[in-house]
Formats: sequence, structure tokens, C-alpha cells
Amino acid sequence: MSDELIRIAGLQKSYDQHDVLHDINLSIHRGQLLGLIGPNGAGKSTLLRCLVGLVQRSGGELSLFGRDPATHSLEIRRQACYLPGETGVYHQMTGARFLKFALGFYAKQSLQLKERLLEQFQLPLNQKVRSYSAGMKQKLALIATLVPDVALYLLDEPDRGLDASVRFYLRDVLRTLKDQGKTIVLSSHHLSEVETLADRLEFLLNGRFVSNERLQRARAQLRRQPRIRLRSGHTLPDGAKLIRTEPDGILVVETDNDPMQWLQSFPQGAVASAEVGVDRLEDLYQLLLQDEVTPHCGVGDQTSAAEVAGGDA
Amino acid sequence: MIAGKTWREIRMIGLAYILILEMLAIPVLMLWPDIYADLQRSTLFRSLGVDWIKRLGSGISQRNEEVAYLNWCAVMLFFRSTNLVGTAASVLIGTGLFAREREANTLEFLLARPISRSSLLWQKFWPCAVVVTAPIFIVNATAIPWSWQLELDLPKWELFLASLHAAIFALAFLTLTMYVSIIVRVQAHVAAIVGAFAVLQIGMYLTQRIRPYSLFRLVDFDWYAPIMTGNTPAWQMFDPIRSHGFTTYLIAATVLLYVLSWRAIHRTEP
Repeated sequence: MSDELIRIAGLQKSYDQHDVLHDINLSIHRGQLLGLIGPNGAGKSTLLRCLVGLVQRSGGELSLFGRDPATHSLEIRRQACYLPGETGVYHQMTGARFLKFALGFYAKQSLQLKERLLEQFQLPLNQKVRSYSAGMKQKLALIATLVPDVALYLLDEPDRGLDASVRFYLRDVLRTLKDQGKTIVLSSHHLSEVETLADRLEFLLNGRFVSNERLQRARAQLRRQPRIRLRSGHTLPDGAKLIRTEPDGILVVETDNDPMQWLQSFPQGAVASAEVGVDRLEDLYQLLLQDEVTPHCGVGDQTSAAEVAGGDA
Repeated sequence: MIAGKTWREIRMIGLAYILILEMLAIPVLMLWPDIYADLQRSTLFRSLGVDWIKRLGSGISQRNEEVAYLNWCAVMLFFRSTNLVGTAASVLIGTGLFAREREANTLEFLLARPISRSSLLWQKFWPCAVVVTAPIFIVNATAIPWSWQLELDLPKWELFLASLHAAIFALAFLTLTMYVSIIVRVQAHVAAIVGAFAVLQIGMYLTQRIRPYSLFRLVDFDWYAPIMTGNTPAWQMFDPIRSHGFTTYLIAATVLLYVLSWRAIHRTEP
């Protein structure tokens, strides 16, 4: 039996002549955790919906467990659990009734995980779901998705609306599932968190996967772009170009060499705050999008550091 | 499981529907002796120019009180109550079946469960079908003991046939509403479309020239009265070749709309 659980070749999806996914190729093996990263509208949710057979593809080939979701969606859904991007829970039910309803579709459940999640999330299960906050609804939907004992979990932004501590806990749960040999595909906006968890990362932009080389190049470029806030009366020293000034006064610059070394060239007390080496997803999107429009140009309006003499920080 | 959920969602509407039908039935049955006496003295119906109202009037004011009472029941229990309240209940219950799920983002949740779309459709449909049709049989059956109070008998078989026809009409409307609920994404739009269609049909019925083209022509006094009085036997209700066979038309419409709904749910995307 092949180890390949999901195979996608040349997948395309269009809505009313608007292409959402173009020529997607992917292979996921049993026990792998794939992280799907991309801005809103990149096609992540559509890709997951195609996988579970909720939407029909416009072209290409797709198979899960060796079956085509277009014709064997039910068989696939018996072995896969999908968490939609928009939290869908019944407001008129109590939390307990919703869980009973949602889990009742599956023959096998991990009761140990259920206990663990219920204990950690502390949901008021006897209350109607309509009284829950957005985060509580997401926790309920997560229990309904992760407790069924299936081979594949397709999670569309599972960390939506969750605070940091719950996100970290969720990461541990997903790691446990992965260690048990489950296959997981998850989309997220939290690049660094997905990165620590995923065996592989795929970056989706305008319905296409960004090549790994291009992604690494962009991330390397970002690592040379510290974000600093200068104290009044100070200017940027040489060795860096200003990319942009953000509305809150933070300067985003690109250094020629190591940004840490460059930061040391500031006089004592000139820098109020600095952020170096942090992969901000929105910056990455911007860089990749710019790259897509003008692939041979550099980044931003390459204003020289000297031009901001007198710094308005 | 989905059938259980659907049942819990609509059971109170079903209860209210039974109560409304019963509350509409009791006074018109209990007041029959006074109404009949007034009808014997009045010449109002005979002088009206609209032919179907004239027929209705002469039916309920016949010298033979037992026949007049059967015609009265055909008008009040079926032509008035089940047609209007049954249609309203079908629209009310049917609009939310899929459009509300879509609006609440729960349709995607349901479609992703390991259940076939055919089963999803059926499990949502049959509890609604029971809630829409069962009250028609129940309330009309209670008309029998109420009539005993007046020392009048209602024929059980004919009452059942008339109730069956009324129930199938309500079912056809429910299936139409369900179909629109699948193809239209907003629940309010579903209600507006099906509601406007029903109002248009009633308007057509009340307009002499185009009355034969109204759907309510299939469920009016001219159809129920012969059933109640035993002049339209069961075979005539179902035989569209040698008789009118209106019941068969309604069954065919219901089946067709269910097939369209089945096709639509298989094509729908969340």
C-alpha cells in the first residue's frame, strides 16, 4: 500500500471565470503535517474544500486515500475530519448537545483526547452556544473536529479567535496527533507557530504555490529588514536603506549586512525599540506580492538613509 | 441524527400549527346550526354574480342538512383552513431548511460530516413532511367527535380522502420551499419568493378569467365537496386519464420538486 495519502496534480478551481486555484501540485504522505500559509483570498480554504469534496474542481487530478473526492466524497469524509474556516456551530443547542450531535457521525472517537480538551478549554457545556464568545465557539468546533478518531484532519485556520495560550496548547495537541501517525493539513496566518509544527510548509499566493526557493529568498531579505523606532533628534546611520515609515512612526529599513551589527552603529540611546529577524507574515505577503508584480525590482521605494536626516521618529 | 435535530427545531411550530387548525375548526363546526338556519333564510348567495361563490353558497344551504354540513366542512376545514394555514406552515418550516444553515455557516459543517447528501436531504425533509401533514389528519379527525355534539355524522373514509389530498397539497408546497431554500442563499429571500408565489396563486384564483390556471383550483370547494359527499370516489382522485386526477398531479409535482431538490443539494457548494 502506498504511503501517499493525498495526491494533487494540476488542480484548478474557478468561480465564474475567476481562477482561484491554478495548477496546484502536491503530495502528502501518511503521518505528515502540512502547513498551508497564505494571505486572505489566496485559495487555502478552497483547496481544503476541494480535498474534502465540498466543492468540485475545475481541472486537474485529486486523490485522497486513493479515491477521487468528486466521486467518493463520502468514503473520504469517513476517514477525514474537516474544520471549516467559518466557525459553524448551532447556536440554539447547548455545548454538550452540539458535541453529542457532531461526534455522533463518527464510529470511533478518542475519548482520552475529548477529556483532555474539555478539561483544558473549560467550556460551559450546559449553556446555549449562542451565549459563547467567538473563541469559545472555535474551541467547541475544535473538539468536534479533533476528537473523531480518523486518519486525516483538514483544519482551516484552527487558531482563529484563540488567545496565545490556547494556540500553544493546540499546537501540543496537533503534535500528539502527528506522533500517533495522523496526517494533518492546516492553514494558518501564524507563520512562526506553523513552522515549528509542520513537516512541510506551502505558501499559497493568488492561487499558486510559491516555490520554496522564492520563499527562502524573501525570508532572507526580510531578516535584513529590522523595524526600529528612533528617539527624537536621531537619524539613521549609513549602511541601510529606508523602505517605509509606518503610521506609528516605526521605520522599516533594509541593511546591507548583518542587521545586528548595523544596530550597534547607533549612538547610545538613539534607538527606542528594535525588532530583528521576526517573520512578519504581512511583510512576507507584501514582498512576495511585489515580487510577483515586478519580479526584477527591489523592495519598496528604496529611499536612502541619508534622506531621512532629522528623522521624524 | 439530523432528523432528530430537524424535529427538535420544528416541533413547536408543529404544535402551534395543530392548535391554529383546531381553533379554526371548532367554532365553525359548533356554530353550524345557527349558520344553517341563517342560510335557509338568506338569498345572498343565490343573487351573487360570481359563479364559484354561487356554487359554494348553494352547496352549504341545501335543504338536506347532512349534505349541506358536508359541504360546509369541505369549505371550512379544507378550502379555508388547510389551504391557507397548511401553505403558511409549509413555507415557514421549509424556508429555513437549508438557507438558514447556509447563513449560520452550519451547512459547510453538515456537508463535511460523513453522511451522504441524499441522506441529509431526506433526514431534513421527512420530519418536516410529518409536521406539515400529520396535523391535517389529526385536526380533521377531531371534527368527527365535534360533529357528534351536533348529532351529525362525518363519513370517515371521505374525510380521510379529503385530508389526504389537502396533505399532499401542503407537501407539494413544502417541497417547493425546500427546493428554493437550497438554491437561494438567504432565508428571507426564500420566504419572499415562495410567499409571493403563493399570494400570486391566490390572486389568480380570485380573478374569474384566470382562475382555472391557479394552483388553488386543485384544492378548492369544487374539488373537496364532491369528495366529502362521496361523489368523487378514490379512483377519480388518482386517475388523471378517466377523471381529473388532481391528487396524482400533486403527487407528481411533489416527486418532481424532490428530485430537483436532490439534484440541487448534490450540486450545492457551501
